Amino acid sequence: MLLLLPVCYFIQEMVVRLGIATGKGHAAMIYARFGKWWGRFSLFDLMLVNFLTLVTEFAAISLATQQMGVNPYVSVPIAAILLVTQKYKRWERITCVLCLLDLVWLVNAFFSHPHPISVARHALIPNVPPGGITSQFVFLVIAIIGTTIAPWQLFFQQSCVADKRLRFTDLKWARLDTFLGSCFTIMVAGAMIIVGNVSHEHGLTYQDPAKMADAILPFTNEFLRNAVLLMFCNAAVLGTTAISLSSAWAYSEVRGWKHSLNMSFKDAPGFYCIYAACTLIAASIVLIPGAPLQLIILGVQVLAGIILPSAIIFLQLLLNDHKLLGDQWVNKRWNNAINWTIVIVLFALSLILAAQVLAPRLFSAGS
Amino acid sequence: MALSSTQLANTMDDNYFLVVHPLDDIPEQKLKSEHLPTIDMTNSVRWSLICLRVYLLLLIGLFTYHVFELATQLLARK
Repeated sequence: MLLLLPVCYFIQEMVVRLGIATGKGHAAMIYARFGKWWGRFSLFDLMLVNFLTLVTEFAAISLATQQMGVNPYVSVPIAAILLVTQKYKRWERITCVLCLLDLVWLVNAFFSHPHPISVARHALIPNVPPGGITSQFVFLVIAIIGTTIAPWQLFFQQSCVADKRLRFTDLKWARLDTFLGSCFTIMVAGAMIIVGNVSHEHGLTYQDPAKMADAILPFTNEFLRNAVLLMFCNAAVLGTTAISLSSAWAYSEVRGWKHSLNMSFKDAPGFYCIYAACTLIAASIVLIPGAPLQLIILGVQVLAGIILPSAIIFLQLLLNDHKLLGDQWVNKRWNNAINWTIVIVLFALSLILAAQVLAPRLFSAGS
Repeated sequence: MALSSTQLANTMDDNYFLVVHPLDDIPEQKLKSEHLPTIDMTNSVRWSLICLRVYLLLLIGLFTYHVFELATQLLARK
């Protein structure tokens, strides 16, 4: 996870720089600089993968609340309605509070009674698990990378920077913000892994993460069980608002509609309709009995494999576009050396992930 | 008349640190992209887009393989 900290920071820093310099979102910039074909391809792919990811986020809300004894037909619509009724500053404050709530994962990790020396050793020294490098292990590594550097994050942060109207003088603070955010992400993810390790140590099996909270109860306590379930809900609500907003911003930018959380519904009806539609349709699909959630999760993994490398390639090319950014805002040589390395590694990993999902038999011989 | 955060900061004593939320500040001029044509096809841009196309074709190939595999499984069940 620690290796992902610089990767996460450098990718998101480029997005911040581009957003501050142009005042526009990522989808709009791809459309403007690479033409309609690549613009529409990126937008369509983003909208589809975002929608499917939204369904999985609502599925998480449904599973976690169901485990706490709340009917999903109540919790899912409430979560969906809460998400479409915000103004920018209010929305920003709420999301900051929800992010800070994630600190509870550190408490959860503490109550999981990990061995501090073992945690420190595994955090600082990368090692291969006892079973060796199997296809499942490779899949897990790629899945962790894919969820830490997700395609929607690029589109979301650039649009968010543009909507907040960050100034050129804000760049140093935005960089600090991005760095702290990256550290926070890695820290919380590490705490989640520590909690999950309780089930791994005791050889427990479960069908979904919500059931894990019940499975580890005999080895922990009631507080940890409830905190894990609530934090699953919290993560899903945060993901839902960010993903639906990234779709609404991207679609409205490309269509040339007014798109800002600072505007009322009257001023930006298209933007709010897309925002609401994404959220409400995804929530409705989760409530359909027997909805093919496994198929949707598979679709998310494949589509993320398609869009992540393309979004990062466009980002890297845009940050080298001297005509657009001038000499002040383009990548420096050291930026390019780091970023091209990250791009090539992510390209290869995304291809392996997509290949494993689509053609698992090709890899089964090596496992 | 509204002042930008920089103008306001200049008028204040050095002992004060003025924080203005960007949304409460006067919007500043950003770099324009409307008048620009599409990106120049330099070597790095051309090769990046070629790699991207090859990558997408590979994924379409894998997807087709997956569909054929599923179809074969279905036929075998019948």
